[in-house]
Amino acid sequence: MELLASVLTFTAINVVAVTGVFILTGLTGLFSLGQGAFMGIGAYVAGLMAIKYNFSFPLAACGAVVVGLIAAVIVGLPTIRLRRDYISLVTLGFGEAIAALLNQSVNITGGAMGLSGIPKQTTLLLAVTSAVICLLLVWGFKCSRYGRQCLALRSDELAARSMGINVNQVKMVAFLLSAAITTYAGVLYGFYTTYVEPVMFGWTKSAEWIIMVFFGGINSLTGAVVASALLTGLPEILRAAAEWRIVAYCVIVLLILNFKPTGLFGEYEISLLSLLRPRGNRIREGEGS
Amino acid sequence: MTAQLIINGISLGAVYALIAVGFAIIFNILKFSNFAHGGFMTVTAYVGFLATRFWHTSLLWTLLIASLAGGMLGIIAELVAFRRIRNNKGPVIYYFVSSITLGMLLENLMTIFFSTNFYAYPNFFPVATVKVGQLLLGVPELIMFCISSLALIILAVLIYRTKLGTALRSVSYDVDTSGLMGINVLRIIQLAFFLAGFLGGISGVFLGISYTLYPQLGQLVVKGFVASVIGGLGSLSGAVIGAFLLGIIEILLIRLVGSGISPVFIFVIMLLFLLVRPRGIAGSHIQEKA
Repeated sequence: MELLASVLTFTAINVVAVTGVFILTGLTGLFSLGQGAFMGIGAYVAGLMAIKYNFSFPLAACGAVVVGLIAAVIVGLPTIRLRRDYISLVTLGFGEAIAALLNQSVNITGGAMGLSGIPKQTTLLLAVTSAVICLLLVWGFKCSRYGRQCLALRSDELAARSMGINVNQVKMVAFLLSAAITTYAGVLYGFYTTYVEPVMFGWTKSAEWIIMVFFGGINSLTGAVVASALLTGLPEILRAAAEWRIVAYCVIVLLILNFKPTGLFGEYEISLLSLLRPRGNRIREGEGS
Repeated sequence: MTAQLIINGISLGAVYALIAVGFAIIFNILKFSNFAHGGFMTVTAYVGFLATRFWHTSLLWTLLIASLAGGMLGIIAELVAFRRIRNNKGPVIYYFVSSITLGMLLENLMTIFFSTNFYAYPNFFPVATVKVGQLLLGVPELIMFCISSLALIILAVLIYRTKLGTALRSVSYDVDTSGLMGINVLRIIQLAFFLAGFLGGISGVFLGISYTLYPQLGQLVVKGFVASVIGGLGSLSGAVIGAFLLGIIEILLIRLVGSGISPVFIFVIMLLFLLVRPRGIAGSHIQEKA
């Protein structure tokens, strides 16, 4: 029972993070390899606020999200207006910088030894509630004007621009929202494990989430959630061959890319509307809801 | 002392230049950032190490074996990760995902096979330092600088003076038209991947010599990325200049603030650079194509 609860909590936290990545990668077509670093910011800032100044969980979470947003603005401002590649490369550098910062400021963060003693405040209920709220938020975003603009500029930035979409602003909004959600996932993570160290938040973490989003189908929030539940939940339960887990993911994703590049779910979303009418058409989807 | 630092910076920059150019070649042809490049470097570093361990190869043979292995790896990577996407005319985000996945795959395979032990290259150099006038030069750095520069010069000759190089440049301008002009596009793309893997092999061995061997060695590829961003994405000469600049900056930073915290400063410098001159030093501007 204990194990099941812990698996479910981790899955829920991962769902939160993956919804954040979904906004950026799935909707907008940008790749951030620094999402792990945002998670690290969340865990460390909230953890430190709780340990050193006895902040309650909600306040610490808010503080961490604000810090994450500030970091996202600093990273986003120079890069978002450039070609897409820049944001991936720069966020990768951002991840390195955050890792170096966490490792070096030993007397604040504990350096490579990690930060321990964060109060255990994340319960299964909180994690699941957060996951549901984030899902609703991202779903709303996908159906909103911004979400549709994101989809438009993902397929063709020039066309989107000429239709009067403020491409840079939309990208920035997506990046900030994604950073905020991922930071919050980090807060949940820190308050669940009670111990964090810098190596947890490297680029492989970010890449893992991108793989999850992609695994489920790059257009499908349903797919992203199913994939993150599957890919976090199953190995935790099976446990065997844990080191081969990532290798297996990678091989599967390469196969998907080669043979079914739209991912497991393609553009399919579970919703009452799409169950009632023939599935597929992305243009019409969301307008009805 | 300053001259000493700059010379160290240049020799570090030469290795970064190999990384950056290997990354930029793929970027030039297929217009995506190849995140698998770090994986190439990790794998080849271990290949080189295995060669020294089992065959007791000299430095040159090690480099040759590792870089040929890298080249083969590049060709295989093209086949398994990118060929079908290109044939299906998939959007550029598929290349991204594919290269990220491939990079993770290679890194994790190396973790599985080698992470239990720490390995280090044998010492190739009988003398550690030579004194030239007032300057104390490290022999490994000097040799790395010479070999890296040689490799870059050969590459430049190949790209700018041979027919193959012309084909390579033509494909990087426009894939479809080059195909119509009778260039075998697939072969050229394979060549690009071979060259990228080859350069990755050399840099992998050098990184393995400079640091110990560990599966995350390939993450030093981020230096190549930073150099490319500073130099201007997609420009080979810009990547080289950016890499040397980065090497010098990094050595100075290590001197001034220590090696641990210098990634933070480099990141800030990169951001400032993007704010001031987003096109990079070379100033080539690759337009986002639909």
